[in-house]
Amino acid sequence: MIVLEHVTKYFGRFQALKDISFEISRGEIVGFLGQNGAGKTTIMRILTSYLPATSGKVIIAGGDVSKNSLAIRKKIGYLPETPPLYSNMAVRDYLRFAAQLKDVPIRQQRVQVDKVLEQCCIEGVQHKTIGTLSKGYKQRVGIAQAIVNDPEVLILDEPTIGLDPVQIIQVRNLIKSLEHKRTVILSTHILSEIQQIAQRVLIIKSGEIIVDETLENLLREHESNLEDIFLELHSASKEKSSYE
Amino acid sequence: MNKIFAIAGKELKAYFKSPIAYVVLIITISVFNIFFFLIIDGNREASLRDVFKVMEFLFIFIVPLLTMKTFAEEKSSGTMEFLMTTPTTNTAIVLGKYLGSLIFFTLIIAITLSYYFIIEFFSNPERLETLIGYVGIWLEGAFFIAIGVLASSWTKNQIIAAISSYVILFLLYFSMSFIKYFSGSLETLVRYIGAWSHAENFTVGLISMTDLVYYVSGILICILFTRLSIENRLWH
Repeated sequence: MIVLEHVTKYFGRFQALKDISFEISRGEIVGFLGQNGAGKTTIMRILTSYLPATSGKVIIAGGDVSKNSLAIRKKIGYLPETPPLYSNMAVRDYLRFAAQLKDVPIRQQRVQVDKVLEQCCIEGVQHKTIGTLSKGYKQRVGIAQAIVNDPEVLILDEPTIGLDPVQIIQVRNLIKSLEHKRTVILSTHILSEIQQIAQRVLIIKSGEIIVDETLENLLREHESNLEDIFLELHSASKEKSSYE
Repeated sequence: MNKIFAIAGKELKAYFKSPIAYVVLIITISVFNIFFFLIIDGNREASLRDVFKVMEFLFIFIVPLLTMKTFAEEKSSGTMEFLMTTPTTNTAIVLGKYLGSLIFFTLIIAITLSYYFIIEFFSNPERLETLIGYVGIWLEGAFFIAIGVLASSWTKNQIIAAISSYVILFLLYFSMSFIKYFSGSLETLVRYIGAWSHAENFTVGLISMTDLVYYVSGILICILFTRLSIENRLWH
Protein backbone atom coordinates (compact mmCIF):
# COMPACT_ATOMS: atom_id res chain seq x y z
CA MET A 1 0.00 0.00 0.00
CA ILE A 2 2.77 2.42 0.97
CA VAL A 3 6.37 2.04 -0.13
CA LEU A 4 9.24 4.38 0.68
CA GLU A 5 12.54 3.66 -1.04
CA HIS A 6 15.71 5.43 0.05
CA VAL A 7 13.95 8.68 0.85
CA THR A 8 16.07 11.61 1.96
CA LYS A 9 15.02 15.13 2.76
CA TYR A 10 17.18 18.20 3.13
CA PHE A 11 16.08 21.58 4.47
CA GLY A 12 18.93 23.72 3.20
CA ARG A 13 22.01 21.93 4.51
CA PHE A 14 20.15 20.15 7.28
CA GLN A 15 19.38 16.53 6.51
CA ALA A 16 16.00 15.79 8.09
CA LEU A 17 15.60 12.27 6.66
CA LYS A 18 18.45 9.88 5.96
CA ASP A 19 17.79 7.08 3.48
CA ILE A 20 14.40 6.03 4.83
CA SER A 21 12.90 2.82 3.42
CA PHE A 22 9.86 0.89 4.62
CA GLU A 23 6.69 -0.77 3.38
CA ILE A 24 3.24 -0.69 4.92
CA SER A 25 0.57 -3.19 3.84
CA ARG A 26 -3.13 -2.46 3.38
CA GLY A 27 -5.02 -2.45 6.67
CA GLU A 28 -1.91 -2.11 8.84
CA ILE A 29 -1.84 0.33 11.75
CA VAL A 30 1.65 1.70 12.12
CA GLY A 31 2.91 3.97 14.85
CA PHE A 32 5.78 6.39 14.30
CA LEU A 33 7.64 6.91 17.52
CA GLY A 34 10.33 9.44 18.12
CA GLN A 35 11.35 12.55 19.95
CA ASN A 36 10.40 16.00 18.73
CA GLY A 37 12.39 16.82 15.60
CA ALA A 38 13.13 13.17 14.81
CA GLY A 39 11.52 13.41 11.36
CA LYS A 40 8.05 11.95 11.95
CA THR A 41 6.18 14.99 10.63
CA THR A 42 8.53 15.31 7.66
CA ILE A 43 7.78 11.71 6.60
CA MET A 44 4.05 12.40 6.94
CA ARG A 45 4.29 15.59 4.93
CA ILE A 46 6.12 13.72 2.17
CA LEU A 47 3.45 11.00 2.19
CA THR A 48 0.71 13.62 1.82
CA SER A 49 2.54 15.49 -0.98
CA TYR A 50 2.86 18.60 1.16
CA LEU A 51 6.65 18.34 0.92
CA PRO A 52 8.71 16.71 -1.81
CA ALA A 53 11.43 14.24 -0.94
CA THR A 54 14.91 15.45 -1.93
CA SER A 55 15.62 11.97 -3.30
CA GLY A 56 14.08 8.52 -3.23
CA LYS A 57 10.72 7.12 -4.22
CA VAL A 58 7.34 7.26 -2.50
CA ILE A 59 4.63 4.93 -3.79
CA ILE A 60 1.10 5.01 -2.39
CA ALA A 61 -1.64 2.70 -3.69
CA GLY A 62 0.54 1.89 -6.69
CA GLY A 63 1.12 5.51 -7.71
CA ASP A 64 4.29 7.56 -7.46
CA VAL A 65 3.64 10.61 -5.24
CA SER A 66 5.94 12.84 -7.30
CA LYS A 67 4.06 11.99 -10.53
CA ASN A 68 0.43 11.37 -9.53
CA SER A 69 0.13 13.64 -6.54
CA LEU A 70 -3.48 14.72 -7.16
CA ALA A 71 -4.78 11.16 -7.69
CA ILE A 72 -2.96 9.95 -4.58
CA ARG A 73 -4.20 12.82 -2.41
CA LYS A 74 -7.77 11.62 -3.09
CA LYS A 75 -6.94 8.39 -1.26
CA ILE A 76 -5.39 10.05 1.77
CA GLY A 77 -6.90 11.54 4.89
CA TYR A 78 -4.52 13.71 6.88
CA LEU A 79 -4.65 15.33 10.27
CA PRO A 80 -1.62 17.61 10.75
CA GLU A 81 -0.20 18.23 14.22
CA THR A 82 -2.22 21.44 14.50
CA PRO A 83 -5.77 20.65 13.34
CA PRO A 84 -6.26 22.71 10.18
CA LEU A 85 -9.49 24.46 11.14
CA TYR A 86 -11.13 27.71 10.09
CA SER A 87 -12.14 29.22 13.40
CA ASN A 88 -14.92 31.38 11.95
CA MET A 89 -16.65 28.51 10.14
CA ALA A 90 -19.39 26.30 11.54
CA VAL A 91 -18.37 22.65 11.95
CA ARG A 92 -20.83 21.40 9.33
CA ASP A 93 -19.85 24.08 6.79
CA TYR A 94 -16.19 23.23 7.28
CA LEU A 95 -16.76 19.51 6.74
CA ARG A 96 -18.84 20.26 3.64
CA PHE A 97 -16.01 22.44 2.37
CA ALA A 98 -13.50 19.64 3.04
CA ALA A 99 -15.76 17.16 1.20
CA GLN A 100 -15.94 19.51 -1.81
CA LEU A 101 -12.17 19.87 -1.98
CA LYS A 102 -11.66 16.14 -1.52
CA ASP A 103 -13.76 15.23 -4.56
CA VAL A 104 -16.65 13.67 -2.67
CA PRO A 105 -19.47 13.58 -5.30
CA ILE A 106 -21.99 16.40 -4.73
CA ARG A 107 -24.88 14.00 -4.04
CA GLN A 108 -22.90 12.15 -1.40
CA GLN A 109 -21.48 15.16 0.39
CA ARG A 110 -24.40 15.54 2.77
CA VAL A 111 -24.42 11.82 3.60
CA GLN A 112 -20.67 11.73 4.12
CA VAL A 113 -20.74 14.78 6.38
CA ASP A 114 -23.57 13.25 8.45
CA LYS A 115 -21.61 10.01 8.65
CA VAL A 116 -18.39 11.57 9.96
CA LEU A 117 -20.31 13.83 12.35
CA GLU A 118 -21.79 10.68 13.87
CA GLN A 119 -18.52 8.72 13.80
CA CYS A 120 -16.65 11.49 15.56
CA CYS A 121 -19.53 12.20 17.99
CA ILE A 122 -19.74 15.87 17.01
CA GLU A 123 -23.35 16.00 15.78
CA GLY A 124 -24.24 18.12 18.80
CA VAL A 125 -21.81 20.87 17.81
CA GLN A 126 -22.29 20.74 14.04
CA HIS A 127 -23.78 24.24 13.86
CA LYS A 128 -21.32 25.79 16.30
CA THR A 129 -18.46 27.98 15.17
CA ILE A 130 -15.20 26.03 15.34
CA GLY A 131 -13.43 28.82 17.24
CA THR A 132 -15.81 28.39 20.19
CA LEU A 133 -15.14 24.64 20.62
CA SER A 134 -12.94 22.98 23.23
CA LYS A 135 -9.60 21.49 22.20
CA GLY A 136 -11.00 17.96 22.30
CA TYR A 137 -13.86 18.85 19.98
CA LYS A 138 -11.50 20.69 17.64
CA GLN A 139 -9.33 17.58 17.45
CA ARG A 140 -12.38 15.49 16.57
CA VAL A 141 -13.40 17.97 13.89
CA GLY A 142 -9.85 17.65 12.54
CA ILE A 143 -10.21 13.87 12.42
CA ALA A 144 -13.66 14.21 10.82
CA GLN A 145 -12.22 16.28 7.94
CA ALA A 146 -9.50 13.66 7.51
CA ILE A 147 -12.03 10.85 7.01
CA VAL A 148 -14.77 12.77 5.16
CA ASN A 149 -13.62 11.32 1.82
CA ASP A 150 -13.46 7.78 3.26
CA PRO A 151 -9.72 7.53 2.56
CA GLU A 152 -7.78 4.32 2.09
CA VAL A 153 -4.85 5.77 4.00
CA LEU A 154 -5.26 7.77 7.17
CA ILE A 155 -2.30 9.79 8.43
CA LEU A 156 -2.57 11.30 11.89
CA ASP A 157 0.21 13.49 13.25
CA GLU A 158 0.15 13.57 17.05
CA PRO A 159 -3.64 13.24 17.25
CA THR A 160 -3.83 13.43 21.03
CA ILE A 161 -1.28 16.15 21.72
CA GLY A 162 -2.43 18.73 24.24
CA LEU A 163 -5.60 16.88 25.23
CA ASP A 164 -6.66 16.05 28.78
CA PRO A 165 -6.81 12.34 29.82
CA VAL A 166 -10.53 12.01 29.12
CA GLN A 167 -10.19 13.61 25.70
CA ILE A 168 -7.18 11.37 24.95
CA ILE A 169 -9.27 8.26 25.63
CA GLN A 170 -12.13 9.60 23.50
CA VAL A 171 -9.85 10.40 20.54
CA ARG A 172 -8.00 7.08 20.94
CA ASN A 173 -11.28 5.15 20.85
CA LEU A 174 -12.29 7.12 17.80
CA ILE A 175 -9.06 6.21 15.99
CA LYS A 176 -9.49 2.55 16.95
CA SER A 177 -13.01 2.59 15.50
CA LEU A 178 -11.63 3.86 12.17
CA GLU A 179 -9.00 1.23 11.65
CA HIS A 180 -11.06 -1.36 9.76
CA LYS A 181 -9.96 -1.81 6.14
CA ARG A 182 -7.91 1.35 6.39
CA THR A 183 -4.17 1.80 6.54
CA VAL A 184 -3.46 4.05 9.48
CA ILE A 185 -0.20 5.84 10.19
CA LEU A 186 -0.03 7.62 13.47
CA SER A 187 2.80 9.59 14.98
CA THR A 188 3.18 10.27 18.64
CA HIS A 189 5.65 10.47 21.45
CA ILE A 190 3.12 9.02 23.88
CA LEU A 191 4.25 5.42 24.13
CA SER A 192 1.08 4.02 25.68
CA GLU A 193 -0.84 5.32 22.68
CA ILE A 194 1.20 3.21 20.28
CA GLN A 195 0.85 0.23 22.58
CA GLN A 196 -2.92 0.52 22.55
CA ILE A 197 -3.53 1.31 18.91
CA ALA A 198 -0.71 0.20 16.62
CA GLN A 199 0.25 -3.24 15.34
CA ARG A 200 3.69 -2.17 14.17
CA VAL A 201 6.18 0.39 15.41
CA LEU A 202 8.74 2.47 13.55
CA ILE A 203 11.11 4.23 15.91
CA ILE A 204 12.71 7.25 14.26
CA LYS A 205 15.73 9.07 15.56
CA SER A 206 17.51 11.99 13.89
CA GLY A 207 15.95 11.17 10.53
CA GLU A 208 16.75 7.45 10.62
CA ILE A 209 14.60 4.44 11.35
CA ILE A 210 16.27 2.61 14.20
CA VAL A 211 13.48 0.07 14.74
CA ASP A 212 10.86 -1.38 12.37
CA GLU A 213 9.11 -4.20 14.17
CA THR A 214 5.66 -5.48 15.02
CA LEU A 215 4.62 -4.44 18.49
CA GLU A 216 4.21 -8.06 19.51
CA ASN A 217 7.76 -9.02 18.46
CA LEU A 218 9.25 -5.92 19.97
CA LEU A 219 7.68 -6.54 23.36
CA ARG A 220 8.55 -10.24 23.26
CA GLU A 221 12.18 -9.72 22.25
CA HIS A 222 12.85 -7.12 24.89
CA GLU A 223 10.60 -8.62 27.57
CA SER A 224 9.65 -5.22 28.85
CA ASN A 225 7.21 -2.41 28.14
CA LEU A 226 7.47 0.01 25.25
CA GLU A 227 8.72 2.85 27.42
CA ASP A 228 11.76 0.86 28.56
CA ILE A 229 12.39 -0.35 25.01
CA PHE A 230 12.24 3.17 23.66
CA LEU A 231 14.66 4.50 26.29
CA GLU A 232 16.98 1.52 25.82
CA LEU A 233 17.08 1.85 22.03
CA HIS A 234 17.44 5.57 22.24
CA SER A 235 20.41 5.47 24.59
CA ALA A 236 22.00 2.60 22.60
CA SER A 237 21.69 4.60 19.42
CA LYS A 238 23.13 7.65 21.21
CA GLU A 239 26.15 5.65 22.44
CA LYS A 240 26.66 4.20 18.98
CA SER A 241 26.63 7.58 17.31
CA SER A 242 28.99 9.11 19.89
CA TYR A 243 31.32 6.11 19.49
CA GLU A 244 31.32 6.58 15.70
CA MET B 1 -14.18 24.64 -11.46
CA ASN B 2 -16.41 23.57 -8.55
CA LYS B 3 -13.44 23.78 -6.22
CA ILE B 4 -12.66 27.33 -7.36
CA PHE B 5 -16.23 28.33 -6.47
CA ALA B 6 -16.06 26.38 -3.20
CA ILE B 7 -12.91 28.28 -2.16
CA ALA B 8 -14.32 31.60 -3.40
CA GLY B 9 -17.54 30.97 -1.43
CA LYS B 10 -15.55 30.16 1.69
CA GLU B 11 -13.52 33.37 1.26
CA LEU B 12 -16.64 35.44 0.77
CA LYS B 13 -18.35 34.01 3.86
CA ALA B 14 -15.15 34.64 5.83
CA TYR B 15 -15.31 38.32 4.83
CA PHE B 16 -18.81 38.68 6.20
CA LYS B 17 -17.92 36.86 9.40
CA SER B 18 -15.09 39.25 10.18
CA PRO B 19 -15.59 42.82 11.40
CA ILE B 20 -12.90 44.07 9.00
CA ALA B 21 -15.23 43.50 6.03
CA TYR B 22 -18.02 45.58 7.56
CA VAL B 23 -15.61 48.30 8.67
CA VAL B 24 -14.06 48.46 5.17
CA LEU B 25 -17.49 48.42 3.53
CA ILE B 26 -18.98 51.15 5.75
CA ILE B 27 -15.93 53.42 5.72
CA THR B 28 -15.39 53.00 1.97
CA ILE B 29 -18.97 53.72 1.02
CA SER B 30 -19.13 56.65 3.46
CA VAL B 31 -15.95 58.20 2.06
CA PHE B 32 -17.15 57.61 -1.52
CA ASN B 33 -20.47 59.24 -0.66
CA ILE B 34 -18.75 62.32 0.79
CA PHE B 35 -16.55 62.74 -2.28
CA PHE B 36 -19.51 62.10 -4.59
CA PHE B 37 -21.45 64.91 -2.92
CA LEU B 38 -18.46 67.30 -2.87
CA ILE B 39 -17.51 66.65 -6.52
CA ILE B 40 -21.03 66.81 -7.93
CA ASP B 41 -21.78 69.92 -5.85
CA GLY B 42 -18.50 71.57 -6.89
CA ASN B 43 -18.44 70.64 -10.61
CA ARG B 44 -22.16 71.12 -11.24
CA GLU B 45 -22.01 68.62 -14.14
CA ALA B 46 -23.72 65.26 -14.68
CA SER B 47 -20.54 63.17 -14.88
CA LEU B 48 -18.85 60.71 -12.54
CA ARG B 49 -15.44 61.31 -14.15
CA ASP B 50 -13.86 62.97 -11.11
CA VAL B 51 -15.65 60.60 -8.72
CA PHE B 52 -13.96 57.68 -10.52
CA LYS B 53 -10.55 59.34 -10.08
CA VAL B 54 -11.07 59.67 -6.34
CA MET B 55 -12.33 56.09 -6.11
CA GLU B 56 -9.25 54.80 -7.94
CA PHE B 57 -7.00 56.62 -5.51
CA LEU B 58 -8.90 55.27 -2.51
CA PHE B 59 -8.56 51.69 -3.83
CA ILE B 60 -4.88 51.90 -2.89
CA PHE B 61 -5.92 52.13 0.76
CA ILE B 62 -8.85 49.68 0.64
CA VAL B 63 -7.53 46.74 -1.41
CA PRO B 64 -4.63 45.73 0.88
CA LEU B 65 -7.10 45.53 3.78
CA LEU B 66 -9.24 43.15 1.75
CA THR B 67 -6.46 40.93 0.48
CA MET B 68 -3.95 40.84 3.35
CA LYS B 69 -5.48 37.74 4.91
CA THR B 70 -6.04 35.64 1.77
CA PHE B 71 -2.91 33.51 2.10
CA ALA B 72 -1.19 34.99 5.16
CA GLU B 73 -3.98 33.80 7.47
CA GLU B 74 -4.01 30.30 5.95
CA LYS B 75 -0.29 30.06 6.57
CA SER B 76 -0.36 31.36 10.13
CA SER B 77 -3.31 29.16 11.16
CA GLY B 78 -1.97 25.99 9.51
CA THR B 79 -4.92 25.59 7.13
CA MET B 80 -2.59 25.98 4.16
CA GLU B 81 -1.42 22.43 4.91
CA PHE B 82 -5.04 21.28 4.72
CA LEU B 83 -5.67 23.06 1.40
CA MET B 84 -2.50 21.77 -0.20
CA THR B 85 -2.95 18.16 0.86
CA THR B 86 -6.45 17.93 -0.62
CA PRO B 87 -6.68 16.90 -4.29
CA THR B 88 -6.94 20.54 -5.34
CA THR B 89 -4.55 22.12 -7.83
CA ASN B 90 -2.57 25.16 -6.76
CA THR B 91 -4.15 27.07 -9.65
CA ALA B 92 -7.64 26.34 -8.28
CA ILE B 93 -6.57 27.50 -4.80
CA VAL B 94 -5.18 30.79 -6.15
CA LEU B 95 -8.14 31.42 -8.48
CA GLY B 96 -10.65 30.61 -5.72
CA LYS B 97 -9.03 33.04 -3.33
CA TYR B 98 -8.72 35.72 -5.98
CA LEU B 99 -12.34 35.28 -7.02
CA GLY B 100 -13.55 35.57 -3.42
CA SER B 101 -11.80 38.94 -2.97
CA LEU B 102 -12.92 40.10 -6.41
CA ILE B 103 -16.58 39.37 -5.69
CA PHE B 104 -16.40 41.33 -2.44
CA PHE B 105 -14.78 44.24 -4.27
CA THR B 106 -17.42 44.03 -7.02
CA LEU B 107 -20.06 44.37 -4.32
CA ILE B 108 -18.51 47.68 -3.23
CA ILE B 109 -18.51 48.89 -6.85
CA ALA B 110 -22.10 47.69 -7.30
CA ILE B 111 -23.21 49.84 -4.35
CA THR B 112 -21.68 52.90 -6.01
CA LEU B 113 -23.86 52.31 -9.09
CA SER B 114 -26.44 54.29 -7.13
CA TYR B 115 -24.40 57.42 -7.97
CA TYR B 116 -25.28 57.01 -11.61
CA PHE B 117 -28.99 56.71 -10.84
CA ILE B 118 -28.82 59.79 -8.62
CA ILE B 119 -27.29 61.98 -11.32
CA GLU B 120 -29.61 60.50 -13.93
CA PHE B 121 -32.56 61.46 -11.76
CA PHE B 122 -31.47 65.11 -11.79
CA SER B 123 -29.84 65.37 -15.19
CA ASN B 124 -28.90 63.55 -18.37
CA PRO B 125 -25.45 61.96 -17.95
CA GLU B 126 -23.47 60.27 -20.73
CA ARG B 127 -24.47 56.65 -20.28
CA LEU B 128 -21.67 54.98 -22.28
CA GLU B 129 -18.94 57.14 -20.74
CA THR B 130 -20.16 56.23 -17.25
CA LEU B 131 -20.34 52.54 -18.10
CA ILE B 132 -16.79 52.57 -19.51
CA GLY B 133 -15.68 54.45 -16.42
CA TYR B 134 -17.11 51.70 -14.23
CA VAL B 135 -15.38 49.02 -16.34
CA GLY B 136 -12.12 50.93 -15.90
CA ILE B 137 -12.29 51.25 -12.13
CA TRP B 138 -13.40 47.62 -11.81
CA LEU B 139 -10.44 46.49 -13.92
CA GLU B 140 -8.07 48.60 -11.87
CA GLY B 141 -9.48 47.19 -8.64
CA ALA B 142 -9.20 43.66 -10.06
CA PHE B 143 -5.53 44.33 -10.85
CA PHE B 144 -4.87 45.79 -7.39
CA ILE B 145 -6.54 42.75 -5.79
CA ALA B 146 -4.30 40.41 -7.80
CA ILE B 147 -1.30 42.36 -6.43
CA GLY B 148 -2.68 42.15 -2.88
CA VAL B 149 -3.25 38.40 -3.13
CA LEU B 150 0.31 37.97 -4.46
CA ALA B 151 1.74 39.99 -1.54
CA SER B 152 -0.29 37.89 0.88
CA SER B 153 1.25 34.70 -0.54
CA TRP B 154 4.73 35.88 0.46
CA THR B 155 4.23 35.91 4.20
CA LYS B 156 2.27 34.52 7.13
CA ASN B 157 2.01 37.97 8.68
CA GLN B 158 -1.07 39.94 7.56
CA ILE B 159 0.49 43.31 8.46
CA ILE B 160 3.56 42.59 6.32
CA ALA B 161 1.24 41.46 3.51
CA ALA B 162 -0.73 44.73 3.73
CA ILE B 163 2.41 46.90 3.87
CA SER B 164 3.92 45.06 0.87
CA SER B 165 0.70 45.71 -1.08
CA TYR B 166 0.69 49.40 -0.09
CA VAL B 167 4.28 49.83 -1.28
CA ILE B 168 3.62 48.18 -4.66
CA LEU B 169 0.33 50.01 -5.22
CA PHE B 170 1.80 53.40 -4.29
CA LEU B 171 4.75 52.83 -6.64
CA LEU B 172 2.38 51.81 -9.45
CA TYR B 173 0.01 54.69 -8.89
CA PHE B 174 2.62 57.39 -8.47
CA SER B 175 5.18 56.06 -10.93
CA MET B 176 4.52 59.08 -13.20
CA SER B 177 5.95 61.30 -10.44
CA PHE B 178 9.33 59.66 -10.97
CA ILE B 179 9.24 59.86 -14.76
CA LYS B 180 11.69 62.80 -14.90
CA TYR B 181 14.42 60.57 -13.48
CA PHE B 182 14.18 58.15 -16.42
CA SER B 183 14.85 58.47 -20.14
CA GLY B 184 14.59 56.41 -23.32
CA SER B 185 13.09 52.94 -23.16
CA LEU B 186 13.12 53.00 -19.35
CA GLU B 187 10.92 56.09 -19.43
CA THR B 188 8.50 54.33 -21.82
CA LEU B 189 8.42 51.34 -19.50
CA VAL B 190 7.72 53.42 -16.38
CA ARG B 191 5.04 55.32 -18.29
CA TYR B 192 3.42 52.02 -19.31
CA ILE B 193 3.65 50.47 -15.84
CA GLY B 194 1.96 53.43 -14.15
CA ALA B 195 -1.62 52.47 -13.28
CA TRP B 196 -3.01 55.99 -13.17
CA SER B 197 -2.57 56.83 -16.86
CA HIS B 198 -4.38 53.63 -17.91
CA ALA B 199 -7.30 54.25 -15.61
CA GLU B 200 -7.61 57.87 -16.73
CA ASN B 201 -8.56 56.84 -20.27
CA PHE B 202 -11.47 54.77 -18.99
CA THR B 203 -12.77 57.59 -16.81
CA VAL B 204 -13.17 59.81 -19.86
CA GLY B 205 -14.95 57.04 -21.78
CA LEU B 206 -12.02 55.76 -23.84
CA ILE B 207 -11.29 52.08 -24.27
CA SER B 208 -7.91 51.26 -25.76
CA MET B 209 -6.36 47.87 -26.34
CA THR B 210 -3.18 49.02 -24.56
CA ASP B 211 -5.11 49.71 -21.36
CA LEU B 212 -7.06 46.44 -21.55
CA VAL B 213 -3.86 44.46 -22.17
CA TYR B 214 -2.20 46.29 -19.27
CA TYR B 215 -4.86 45.26 -16.75
CA VAL B 216 -5.57 41.76 -18.02
CA SER B 217 -1.90 40.84 -18.38
CA GLY B 218 -1.17 42.41 -14.99
CA ILE B 219 -3.87 40.25 -13.37
CA LEU B 220 -2.66 37.09 -15.12
CA ILE B 221 0.98 37.74 -14.22
CA CYS B 222 0.10 38.29 -10.55
CA ILE B 223 -2.00 35.08 -10.46
CA LEU B 224 0.86 33.16 -12.08
CA PHE B 225 3.39 34.57 -9.59
CA THR B 226 1.04 33.76 -6.69
CA ARG B 227 0.84 30.17 -7.89
CA LEU B 228 4.64 30.05 -8.18
CA SER B 229 4.95 31.62 -4.76
CA ILE B 230 2.87 28.97 -2.99
CA GLU B 231 4.63 26.22 -4.95
CA ASN B 232 8.08 27.60 -4.39
CA ARG B 233 7.48 27.70 -0.65
CA LEU B 234 7.06 23.95 -0.70
CA TRP B 235 9.09 22.49 -3.50
CA HIS B 236 12.55 23.60 -2.54
